Amino acid sequence: MSGGTHPIRLVVTDDLRRSRVTVFFRLFLTIPHFFWLSVWSVGVVFALVAAWFAALVLGRTPRPLHHFLAGYIRYSTHVSAYLLLAANPFPGFLGHAGSYPVDLEIDEPGRQSRWMTGFRGLLVVPALLLTFAVAGSVGPAQAGSIFASGVVAFVAFLAWFAALARGRMPRGFRDLVAYALGYSAQTYGYLFLVTDRYPNSDPERLVSSGLPPHPVRLTVEDDERRSRLTVVFRLLLALPHFVWFTLWTIVASAAGIANWLATLAAGRSPHALHRFLTAYVRYRTHLYAFVGLIGNPFPGFTGAVGSYPIDLELDGPEPQNRWITGFRLLLGFPAFLVAASLETVLVVVAVLAWFAALATGRMPHGLRNLGAYILRYSAQTYAYGLVLTERYPYGSPSPVEPPERIPEAVEA
Amino acid sequence: MRLGRAWPLLLLALLAGVAARRRPRRDLAVAGAPELREQARTDPEPLPALVHPDVSPLPEAGRAPARRPAPGQLALLALLALCSGVWAVVAWRLWDSTLPGDLRPPDLDAADYFSAGQLRESARYERFLELDFLLSQAVLIGVLAVYAVRGHRFMRESAAGRIGTGMMLGMVGLGLVWLVQLPFSLAAFWWQRRNDIVDDGYGVWLAGSLGGLAGTFLFVSFALLIVMALAGPLKQRWWIVGGPAFVALALLFTFVDPYLRGDLRSLENPALAAEARELARAQGVDEIPVEVEPVQEFTSAPNAEATGLGPSRRVILWDTLLDGRFSDDEVEVVLAHEFGHHAHGHIPESIAWYALFAIPGAFLLAFATARVGGMRDPRAVPLSLLVLTVLQLAALPAQNVVSRRLESEADWAALRATRDPSAAKGLFRGFTRETLQQPDPPTWSYVLLGSHPSVIQRIAMAEEWERRRGR
Repeated sequence: MSGGTHPIRLVVTDDLRRSRVTVFFRLFLTIPHFFWLSVWSVGVVFALVAAWFAALVLGRTPRPLHHFLAGYIRYSTHVSAYLLLAANPFPGFLGHAGSYPVDLEIDEPGRQSRWMTGFRGLLVVPALLLTFAVAGSVGPAQAGSIFASGVVAFVAFLAWFAALARGRMPRGFRDLVAYALGYSAQTYGYLFLVTDRYPNSDPERLVSSGLPPHPVRLTVEDDERRSRLTVVFRLLLALPHFVWFTLWTIVASAAGIANWLATLAAGRSPHALHRFLTAYVRYRTHLYAFVGLIGNPFPGFTGAVGSYPIDLELDGPEPQNRWITGFRLLLGFPAFLVAASLETVLVVVAVLAWFAALATGRMPHGLRNLGAYILRYSAQTYAYGLVLTERYPYGSPSPVEPPERIPEAVEA
Repeated sequence: MRLGRAWPLLLLALLAGVAARRRPRRDLAVAGAPELREQARTDPEPLPALVHPDVSPLPEAGRAPARRPAPGQLALLALLALCSGVWAVVAWRLWDSTLPGDLRPPDLDAADYFSAGQLRESARYERFLELDFLLSQAVLIGVLAVYAVRGHRFMRESAAGRIGTGMMLGMVGLGLVWLVQLPFSLAAFWWQRRNDIVDDGYGVWLAGSLGGLAGTFLFVSFALLIVMALAGPLKQRWWIVGGPAFVALALLFTFVDPYLRGDLRSLENPALAAEARELARAQGVDEIPVEVEPVQEFTSAPNAEATGLGPSRRVILWDTLLDGRFSDDEVEVVLAHEFGHHAHGHIPESIAWYALFAIPGAFLLAFATARVGGMRDPRAVPLSLLVLTVLQLAALPAQNVVSRRLESEADWAALRATRDPSAAKGLFRGFTRETLQQPDPPTWSYVLLGSHPSVIQRIAMAEEWERRRGR
């Protein structure tokens, strides 16, 4: 898959197959690359200073410097993809284009605004914050640090067990890591003057292949307009909702246990409990969308279907496997951990969006879609945990395909 | 010294959410005949004949006689008269106090008790705050007036139902008020810092202000939930249940208030604690404990309060009273004053006053918002904020009269219990010395902002008590 027209594009040709042996020793196998990356990064510091002055004077980054910096970004992406199990083969040390299943296409140097070059270090701060939240210290920032952080480190840790057990990387996790690497590469490409195009956080632009339909679907009908006054007081306006949500959560927890027992006995969630818990999960999504600025209007208190621009569609009760139901909490544990770490990213999204929406009266498209993806994953996780569906949440930030375009062989 | 935390008076003000700064928020005190006007809109009868039946024109020869009010309207008038009568009787009973009927404190000259420098300094200090208050209130009214007209546009920012949208409009309105009043609050805070009245940094002040706004948002949401939920089935008559419901909530909050205080400590000074027990016993409230609230971190202003109801009753001293700036005798006057509030049942009495203001206030609110659909319609919420704020400001002088009456009674009780007018005078003079309180403020300030008798009036009362004892 490849996506977008950004000068730095992620290209993923990985087949999800993993060698168990190399997975087991993955961290140790990466050590030589850490060493080489550190050496290369020393050169990058000097190249970056030279590129900055050159771009200020010439209005573009000289081609040799551009290639040097682009190669570094590509190589660090290869190394990160290897470390985080987004790809299987041991990467080369030169960062050649087209040499790795998780790769970058980087355009030739173009003209750059001198103003934006001058203030590049300042302008990149929001993107860096988001990069650290999503990708932590992977990518070019990994030089000198053998431990990744952020959501992807967490995902890779979980994926390590899955890949060891199955010999395959779960596609959702692979896509999430790939997204993080792609965004990270665009951020560092911007910082390193490889391009003056701001990084695009839209998951659909970075990871564009679809997923099969899921019983829990997020619909987005938001027009990206934001009321500045309600943005200013967004968190405070949500206070009555927080109180109501807390009360509802207490009841929903009890209802969730009842639903679990009933589904275990009957093999299907009872309609009344299903309806109640569905409304709860939908209300939760509305509330989080409002607080995270993913949606604009003040949400209702009942989780009514179709009442909010960021809405949730949940299918009715269906037969569920009793074994999967019986071990639901255990099985859902990794998804809950990922959802929790993604929700920390939602906080960063909300903070960045708060400033952007206050300044422009609009929500940046990429941030909105990233937030929507997080809400989707979180809703699917809660629906799974509350035994509303037995379908495991999709970790991939890819858009979910409409039912008429189901790919033949796609792994969830 | 404060009487309780003014929970009863605060609740309805929280519905407006925009009570005057630097003073406890108060409720409403306006009565009228809204039902008549409401009826007049739908009734072919001419309005003047209903509202002023005694001045309606007499029938003339050759002309049709003026129509008489319908029996239902007369019954309504009678009911209104009855309610007004009940209101007046209850108010008269509440007004009754143990102050001697012939109490006439002397007119004192502040210059005899304070140096020219103290008077100049306190006047300068208060003048800034008074000006700041007046400007902020003018801006407040202006913003709320604009919001009353245009606030309904924010309805498009809500995907919630009737009540949820009303909550949002209430919160947005109060958020706007907070924003436009922020410069005035900041100026007042700067001035207090400059004069060493408060010690907080600006960050702490802003965090506190935001925390206060969060609390206000929660309360206004709760209040609107009650009002709009009642207005659904009851329509324009929601106030019949809503008014008493707010009074019940005031009782509840007054009762639980002492338990919600975080860090309360007992009196460490054994001599003072023993004297406190003695003073409480002398006033027949020996079961009421005294506790100390640590506030020195935030302010140097001395204060104390009587709070709670029944078993939750407390006297709370700020630790700024116990830092050595006031003698033990002076602190005992404070203790006796607060015990006096409890002994004379001022807290239940203030809740009764609240009921007297809140129920007609709710009635007026229902009337004023009827034009825009009543409180069941979220479009009425912006207007309701303006109405409540205006009524609240209009009622301030009356509320202050009541409050000063209660404070005077507590002062008198303290003089009787301590039998130490010198300590009382020392305490009151200390207020001016330590908090730059103006001993004899301008009349308008006294009427509008004076919830307590002025310092010079309190000294005069002590002088009067001393004179009577010497007789």
